[in-house]
Amino acid sequence: MSLQDFAQWLSETKLSMALTDSVSAFPAIESVHVVAITLVVGSIAIVDFRLIGLASRTRDPRELIRSILPITWIAFATAAVTGALLFAANPLSYVANFFFLGKVSLLLLAGVNMLFFHLFTHRHLDREGALLPRVSGAASLALWVTIVAFGRWIGFTLSQ
Amino acid sequence: MFTDSLIRFTTWLTGGWLNIAIASHSWVVPALQTIHILSVAIVLAGVLLINLRIAGWAERSQPITAVLDRFLAPVTAAVIVLLLTGLLQIVGEPARAIFRSIFWIKMGLLLAAFALTWSHRPAFAHQAAAEGAQAVGIGRKALAILALLLWVAVIVAGRWIAYADAWPGAPS
Repeated sequence: MSLQDFAQWLSETKLSMALTDSVSAFPAIESVHVVAITLVVGSIAIVDFRLIGLASRTRDPRELIRSILPITWIAFATAAVTGALLFAANPLSYVANFFFLGKVSLLLLAGVNMLFFHLFTHRHLDREGALLPRVSGAASLALWVTIVAFGRWIGFTLSQ
Repeated sequence: MFTDSLIRFTTWLTGGWLNIAIASHSWVVPALQTIHILSVAIVLAGVLLINLRIAGWAERSQPITAVLDRFLAPVTAAVIVLLLTGLLQIVGEPARAIFRSIFWIKMGLLLAAFALTWSHRPAFAHQAAAEGAQAVGIGRKALAILALLLWVAVIVAGRWIAYADAWPGAPS
């Protein structure tokens, strides 16, 4: 099943039709999505700035990550669920949109960056100013800024 | 009265060099909105940690005054960027926001959320030198939760500007 077929199938489900029919469902879900995604990006930025060495420098990075990460995960789960619902409201338009496909690809890249950090880079945290954590934080920050930009551009390029 | 002066303001803005500069490049408004959302991310993450710390639900290893020191400045800087990028969006498309009640409700909520968040500073100023546990009254905890809810309401009101109906007689 291609992405196109999946979008076609999804657009004919009861969920998709209910979302399209309702006047207030889309803006309501969108509002929760915005709150969630700003919390994801903001909380990740706090950790990234620490990794780069620009903020929270008196904090032990591992302890800061333990403190912040639960917020990031709750917000991310909320953003993923609301994002999936927004997608379900108009799947055919989204799969044909460059910025939507780009945003999903960048999200996967951000996930890979995070996985790499938790598997390897975290071992370099004990030495203040080590290169790998700084690169990881900068890459994460750049990815999330681009993800937000792509997300905003979807709203201006979506064909109905 | 109020609508009339807003219409005069809109007429004055429309056709000005900044209005034309913003409206004639299709990338400017999404770029402004991107900066706007990134600034919201800074504000919301900052006020979340400040207010959850006061409520006793996050960053408990840190003194409240340290959390305020860390986040009040970036939150305030981001609010200034939000005002600037918001103002530029109004200049680019004057009729879009200011003729909708939800926009003015958003501004009122913003003022209340910002003032309430800053009110923690004097409230905890006397504890600056104190070490260890900081007792927080139930009233202050309630204010912290209220501040957080107000910030969320600001964001929701902002998203609703795109969907709300304009006042009768407003320019399109």
